[in-house]
Amino acid sequence: MNHSSNEKEPETIEPLRYLSKTEVATIEMELLRDYRFGQQQLIEIWGHACAIAVTKAFPLSSLSKKQPTLLVVCGPEQNGSIGLVCARHLRMFEYEPTIFYPKRSPQSMHQDFTVQCEKMDIPFLSYLPTEVQLLNDAYNLVIDAVLGPETEHKEDKEPYAGMLVTLKQVKIPIVSVDVPSGWDVDEPAKDGINPEVLISLTAPKKCATGFSGNHFLAGRFLPYDIQKKFELNLPEFPGTECVIEL
Amino acid sequence: MLGVRALFGIGLLVTSRGGSVLTHTGACARIASNIYSKDLTHRQVCTMANTIKYLGQEEAQHIDEELFNEYSFSVDQLMELAGLSCATAVSKGYPLQSLLKSPPRVLVICGPGNNGGDGLVCARHLKLFGYEPSVLYPKRPSKQLFQNLTTQCEKMDISFLTEMPEADVIDEVYNFVVDAIFGFSFKGAVREPFGDILSQLKKISVPVASVDIPSGWDVENGCPDGIQPDMLISLTAPKKAAHHFKGRYHFLGGRFVPPALEQKYQLNLPQYPGTDCVYQLN
Repeated sequence: MNHSSNEKEPETIEPLRYLSKTEVATIEMELLRDYRFGQQQLIEIWGHACAIAVTKAFPLSSLSKKQPTLLVVCGPEQNGSIGLVCARHLRMFEYEPTIFYPKRSPQSMHQDFTVQCEKMDIPFLSYLPTEVQLLNDAYNLVIDAVLGPETEHKEDKEPYAGMLVTLKQVKIPIVSVDVPSGWDVDEPAKDGINPEVLISLTAPKKCATGFSGNHFLAGRFLPYDIQKKFELNLPEFPGTECVIEL
Repeated sequence: MLGVRALFGIGLLVTSRGGSVLTHTGACARIASNIYSKDLTHRQVCTMANTIKYLGQEEAQHIDEELFNEYSFSVDQLMELAGLSCATAVSKGYPLQSLLKSPPRVLVICGPGNNGGDGLVCARHLKLFGYEPSVLYPKRPSKQLFQNLTTQCEKMDISFLTEMPEADVIDEVYNFVVDAIFGFSFKGAVREPFGDILSQLKKISVPVASVDIPSGWDVENGCPDGIQPDMLISLTAPKKAAHHFKGRYHFLGGRFVPPALEQKYQLNLPQYPGTDCVYQLN
């Protein structure tokens, strides 16, 4: 299944592993520390793959509104930065993203991602209207890049609490990046966001077991050693694709 | 019926700078609706005209500087996208199933600068696509980025050669060679060991795929007795040297050029198909 230089893989297909919060953190730490990936590099890889997954879930031709508009809601940490990169690539793919990024990380890397989007002429909203009908009418879909596996229970704090209340009410599809915002990595939130599409990055998380919507795996970069070590049993990506529908 | 324009028109902040709060009404609505529509029309016209621009060396360097200084891209971001384009182009020109030699060995030769970095990223993605790349990286810059890219390759079990194989060995072992030695900044004389490497490459019969500029060529005027690659992967936009390219495959890669930058330099880039990161120019 994987193109490893070691002995042949057994014929039986092992089930795909769903990661716990600890495993997610460990893998990322190893990627940075041992494999020497850069954080900006990883975010670029994830954001790019995420954008491709969005185009598979919602091809340009499938959008019902006159303009291919979409709203990308970005949180303050890594998940938000992945959203910014995703927005930029969607722009390159001829979509019309608008970004809502209320609480910006002071880190220069995240600021760079912001400038890159601004200089692509991607509009930034100053506030998220609580009148949900405005969102339903303006955008074809919403990309939820608010909270990811790295965030520590911010869903009760502002501005996220308010944002999540609004997002829960929209009628247009929500696409969540990696983990639906407000969910715990290890289990779904009962009254949390209910996305139509989930784009798991690298490998799916435990909370996604039994996810009933469209589930994509995005990001084709994991060294084979890590795949083996954590027994990820990732499916085979076709050709040169970096996204696969689970 | 409320639309995107109305959303902007109601007085929500829309700014392409994201700094201070502004409120516009009609003016903003017009600006907002023009942000995207002007672009698409422009691209349609250019694709029909099909006059992609071939850059001079200085122009290429200016564009590069702007991407990093004005647009705040980092080298590792763009290098990742560039390397992915190279690996993708190579996969299209030399698909796994079409290779004559098994295992699917590929030689990637990396030079001392950014072109070499593109080659390292390319090698890593080729490994993930199922090829068996080996890398020759004789002159390594001290910058952390290149050390990291090297480690990433090593930890993917990509072997690093200690010396350049002879031409007949290359023909026997490898299906093709990726030339990531010199890029658009190349000027002047070729320093060793690359002189020897290039003379070996001139003798091989397996195809050579060059990253951005066939190594050793003048970036604008080409090189009649230089290497003659089978594939050229132009990054960002083709350079003038590409006018002299006579190989089978000319791909455009590096799909990250912001529309404003494309317009400023009148690059007239074609429309990449779907989400592809390469476009075949010939």
